[in-house]
Amino acid sequence: MAQEKTLVMAMSATPKGFDPDIWVPGQIEAAVNLYEGLTKYGTRSGANGKVEVDPSKIEPHLAESWTVSPDGKTYVFKLKRGVRSPFGNELTAQDIVWTYEKSALQKRTGQFMRTAARIEKVEAVSKYEVRYTLSDANRIFLGALTLHLPAIFDASEAKKHATPDDPYATKWLALNTAGYGPYHLQALQAGQQAVFVVNPNYAFKKPYYTKMIWREVPSPATRVALVRTGQVQYAEQIPFQQLTALRADNTVKVESVPGFGGATVRMNPRFPPFDKVKVRQAVAYATDYAAIGEAVFLGQGTRSRSMLNSPIAGAVNAYKYETDYNKAKQLLAEAGYPNGVDVTLEYSTNWWWEEPLVLQMQASLAKAGIRVTPKRIPSTEMLARRTINVWTVPFLTHLTSSFVPDPSYNMFLTAHCRGSSNVNANCDAAMDKLIDASVVERDQKRWLALIEQAQNLQADSATFIETFLPGTHEVFAACMKGYVWKPHNRLVWKDLSCNS
Amino acid sequence: MGGQTARIARFIGVRLAVSAPVILGIVFLTFMLIRMGGQDPVAMLAGPMADEAMLNALRAQLQLDQPLLAQFANYMVRIAHGDLGVSWQGGIPVLNEIRHLFPATLELVLLSVALAALIGIPIGMRAATKPNGWFDQISRFVSLAGFSMPTYWMGLMAILVFFYILRWAPAPMGRLSMEVAAPAVVTGSILVDALLEANWRAMGSALAHLALPVACFTMLAAAPMIKQTRAIVIEIMGSDYVRYARANGFSAATVRRMALRNAATPLLTFLGSELTSLLAAAALIEYIFSLSGLGQWGLNAILLGDFAVVQGYVLTLALFSMAIFMVIDLIVMLIEPRN
Repeated sequence: MAQEKTLVMAMSATPKGFDPDIWVPGQIEAAVNLYEGLTKYGTRSGANGKVEVDPSKIEPHLAESWTVSPDGKTYVFKLKRGVRSPFGNELTAQDIVWTYEKSALQKRTGQFMRTAARIEKVEAVSKYEVRYTLSDANRIFLGALTLHLPAIFDASEAKKHATPDDPYATKWLALNTAGYGPYHLQALQAGQQAVFVVNPNYAFKKPYYTKMIWREVPSPATRVALVRTGQVQYAEQIPFQQLTALRADNTVKVESVPGFGGATVRMNPRFPPFDKVKVRQAVAYATDYAAIGEAVFLGQGTRSRSMLNSPIAGAVNAYKYETDYNKAKQLLAEAGYPNGVDVTLEYSTNWWWEEPLVLQMQASLAKAGIRVTPKRIPSTEMLARRTINVWTVPFLTHLTSSFVPDPSYNMFLTAHCRGSSNVNANCDAAMDKLIDASVVERDQKRWLALIEQAQNLQADSATFIETFLPGTHEVFAACMKGYVWKPHNRLVWKDLSCNS
Repeated sequence: MGGQTARIARFIGVRLAVSAPVILGIVFLTFMLIRMGGQDPVAMLAGPMADEAMLNALRAQLQLDQPLLAQFANYMVRIAHGDLGVSWQGGIPVLNEIRHLFPATLELVLLSVALAALIGIPIGMRAATKPNGWFDQISRFVSLAGFSMPTYWMGLMAILVFFYILRWAPAPMGRLSMEVAAPAVVTGSILVDALLEANWRAMGSALAHLALPVACFTMLAAAPMIKQTRAIVIEIMGSDYVRYARANGFSAATVRRMALRNAATPLLTFLGSELTSLLAAAALIEYIFSLSGLGQWGLNAILLGDFAVVQGYVLTLALFSMAIFMVIDLIVMLIEPRN
């Protein structure tokens, strides 16, 4: 019998559920290790010699190959044979079909991904072949299939837990796992710990760790103490302020990646004074980027230069604003506010940087006559008020992020009038047209031109103040190796091992 | 004897009758306040990729699209059937969570209050015998320190010194060490359950994990206990009957005994209020030491707008407070000769 290797993680909370279709705290962090996609991103050697994701390369995973019709609307995937769940059931086309039926019934996140990737129909062609029919050929589709959602469930196992009222076993799947990924849930003690064990039938390289113990440690200070004393091998969500000290500590290892999620301040053009582009541009010029980099992100962030950032393909330096108070004052005067303007900047505590960023913005905008009143609101209120078609927050902080490093997908999500992460009524017909065109454009050159145009248009409209990419900073015990950042920005356990 | 039983039954009956509208008021206020506080769990629950249709469907599914009073009426009907609702974070019934988490909080609070009473009452009494003497000065300083130190900071310092530097304390990561098997759940209290099955390893581990949080909480609870005891005893020592007893030549020990007996009633009442206030304050200590108790659960629910959990949490605190004060008042009624 192989030796059991256990990794203990200090996490802020135990997962509240495991069904990727239902978002609850901790679900994504677990689900990316329990469910895997038909495709996966390729990797390449990064600048420092480390392995990194190559978003331009999509490779087979649970599907071993695929064919695509000339019009790009029909894909037939041939499933890898011998892929088995921990329950011993083999992955077949019926599992995929069942998964999509379940998502359609639940109408949650899986269904959104289906809509975003324009998936019209999913059918079993044979036991090991599945056909996807798309409403439009699009560039998002294959990237979306790298994700853990809609999760590919072991339908045979899940059906055992179905009831007449719950034909897709959603209640059971919320608190249990049945996938083809590297790990599955062994035990959950809500509020205390979750234990995951390796899928003994995992069809790919066997993970180094056979058991993952997820301990709930809500206090970040306690998590730091635990990783420094070697009681845990990984601690999540460590405050920025601690990272410098941890980097100097040879008992721990800090892995930092810029990522592509940007800390932004957004203006809703449906509310005055932000209905005037010159006011928005004045805010962009009155922002002290250097001070934000130093005081908020402690020199550890990366300046964001567009609504898209590397490693997303086609990202350009579209956001050209630099701090210039005179220009800001001039723009304000031209917009009809020669004596300055009073605004309220609302923020919540979804991300640690929001409050310091708001305070820094308040200080620097005041220098151009933009008098900011910071207002902290509950996270749930922020989420509800900034929701698409509600849009009642005139001036707010927001993190631009997504699971798929595809430019069209990201732009659609955040800057299209129908994008679900459009939090500030960013509705511009010209922008929507460019994004829509980029989603279905199959010619690489024309596609890149559309993406560049859209980024420039967005920067000119200045509804987003692009500040910094906070980055991802993972803290491990010193022996840990193998960490590879993934676009979903969650830790993938199967990559990890220990030198000892 | 029969008269005494009838008296107790009448007392309990009256207290329950009086408590019912208070509980109803608390439930109503909690229900309305959390809904009017701007919290909306739907957007969070639907996830970052939800569109408007998904949000509306989810709002209807959670019955949050109904008028507030209709929602309250539904909630009351469910409570009457013993159903406190379901946490939207994972769909676990709130009542199950309370049963599961409350023992952890009770262990912490009861041990801390018991220790605080054992330390605080004798110190307060000793300090009261010679007000402004050296012992009184020291005890006042100690109690001031207990009052002044924030629980959060005290917890972090305790972890830094006793876990991180000295390595005396176990990892502040739950109620038991990972290598120790938990006893079978009977009461939910690891201490009691370990005792029931004579599982001394689990008992030792549970005690070790409770040591620092209980020490911090005891400091917090002992400070007002010292102050309150001192004040009560000084007042009693200055009363006419004590002066009369002294004038009649009773020994100092007898006088102290008299004072303690008379101090019992206000001290018991104070102990009750300590218990209930510490129960509400347990959240921070549980948070720092990862104890996974009721307070940590309630705090998390408040931050995430988990309505059913917040309501269940507040209701539990209210019922516990009612029960504690009823028991204390009952004891006072029985020991107080004037009743």
